[in-house]
Amino acid sequence: MLEIKNLMVFYENALALNNVTFTCQEGQITGVFGPNGAGKSTLMYTISGIILDMKKTEVMRGGERITILGEIQFKGEDTTHIKPNERTRKGIVLCPERRRIFPESSTLENLKIGGYLATRQEAKKTLEYVFSLFPALKDLKNREGGFLSGGEQQMLAIGRALMAQPKLLLLDEPLMGLSPAIQSRLVQAIKEINERTGITILITEQYAQPILPIVDHGYVMEKGTIVLAGTAKELTDNPHVKAAYLGA
Amino acid sequence: MDKRKERLDRGIKVRTEGIYAISSWRGIAYVLLPTLSFILVMLTLPLIVPSTTWQRIMTIACIFALLALSFDFLAHFVGIVCLGGAFFTGVGGYISGLLNSAFGLPMAITIPIATIAGGAICTLFLIPCLPIRGIYFAIVSLMYPILFHRVIQALNIFGGTDGLPGLATFPNIWVELYSIIPITLLLTFGLRRLVNEDFGIVLRAIKDNDQAVRASNINIAWYKTKAVYIASAIGCFAGACLAHLYGWVGLSLFALDFSIFPIAATVVGGGGTLVGPIIGAFILAPLSEMLRAFGPLRVVFYSLILAGLVIYKTEGLLPFLQRKYHQFERWTEV
Repeated sequence: MLEIKNLMVFYENALALNNVTFTCQEGQITGVFGPNGAGKSTLMYTISGIILDMKKTEVMRGGERITILGEIQFKGEDTTHIKPNERTRKGIVLCPERRRIFPESSTLENLKIGGYLATRQEAKKTLEYVFSLFPALKDLKNREGGFLSGGEQQMLAIGRALMAQPKLLLLDEPLMGLSPAIQSRLVQAIKEINERTGITILITEQYAQPILPIVDHGYVMEKGTIVLAGTAKELTDNPHVKAAYLGA
Repeated sequence: MDKRKERLDRGIKVRTEGIYAISSWRGIAYVLLPTLSFILVMLTLPLIVPSTTWQRIMTIACIFALLALSFDFLAHFVGIVCLGGAFFTGVGGYISGLLNSAFGLPMAITIPIATIAGGAICTLFLIPCLPIRGIYFAIVSLMYPILFHRVIQALNIFGGTDGLPGLATFPNIWVELYSIIPITLLLTFGLRRLVNEDFGIVLRAIKDNDQAVRASNINIAWYKTKAVYIASAIGCFAGACLAHLYGWVGLSLFALDFSIFPIAATVVGGGGTLVGPIIGAFILAPLSEMLRAFGPLRVVFYSLILAGLVIYKTEGLLPFLQRKYHQFERWTEV
């Protein structure tokens, strides 16, 4: 479904992604693990196209120059130079790091903004699905986004991404700063989304332990390079992964 | 093979970052060249320009440069968007003018008094708005000159609508130029030093995140007050000089130009550099004079040039030139 070939991203002279090649199979959950500064977020920005906006802003500001080389294929179509909004229309939806919900809009409004591209019917159906997935959100329908707790905000962010009718859902560090209980609830929800709707999910995380059980395929990144690839089982058994990402 | 453009620092810069700069004359030259050439150009410009009219334009540009400097200091180092340029010039000009016409004090005394007292008065007026951020401060500081303008007009005090004519003026254009330009340079580099000292570090931290600064047990309001005092004193100095340049103080000292022009100069020159606004003022002030030939279309061309500069050099001229000076680019294979 998603094929990335020899992707390289430079922030000025710093190499953020070094020759990254990988694929996401349709209907599967793919995990990308790595420490801070491994290039996970850059990877997400590049797949969702937000990096093109960042590039433009930096050019205006005269800041660091961003160079993107390589190819991103989504459903056999080259999407490397397509604008981020077009990509969302095609079904690549990003749920960004640190949630980035709209703090002054209510929960319901946040979800509605996410469903901007969907038809009225689809939006209504997805809204019900999101509320059934995260019942907590339904009670907080009219609460301003900024006043939600971290876990609720993350649920809202995932819900908002679902409202855009994704075919490929990019989750950038969805478990950041959450308690283990809420983490496991979110992981269950992510698995359920994948099983119920068949949405392909690409998920990045620093700590692999909570995510690894639901992942079909995993990659380990370090300093912009993919150092390990394999199925969840292979990764779990790998001593290197055990030491670095599973805390064993 | 894919290619990309690589940006590299000039090798010498690496050495000049630290104390090693003084180990070679090339290092010293590299560090000092931009600053020295800027100072040299500023000091020799009055000798080069063709006529007295242009020399007068230069002094006016200096006045605007000072206002732009105070705007840039507040906007990019303290995080306060202050549209009070007209407020500062008005207060400074009127204090200086009153002292001169009522008590007959010479210029050498009135200008320093106007700077110090005017700064204090402006700060007192702005203190109530210090806790509010963003656009609100700008609006309040924009209202004050209008308020003063109307009060003077309505109560007919300080000469009312006619203003105070017949003030002492500078003896000749050279004294005028060579007192204002060095002071402008001194203030520019003084401020640049200040923002890199501990005091300036706190100010910049307040701009970035005032809650974190408060958490470090630093009294933000006091620091902001001091910063506003510095900026308004500079503005009042500019106003006092302006009063003595014209030999007249009037309501036009509260004109909106003094609030808006500094922003344009800062944007053109490059905000956050302190030298940039000076360069911006010295580009825009002569430019607006040169465009006089176009008559009524002057403003059109002026706006077009400004808009073009902002769109194509959003960062401003100085940051662009700085980068060109410190870095070179080349194509490399990936």
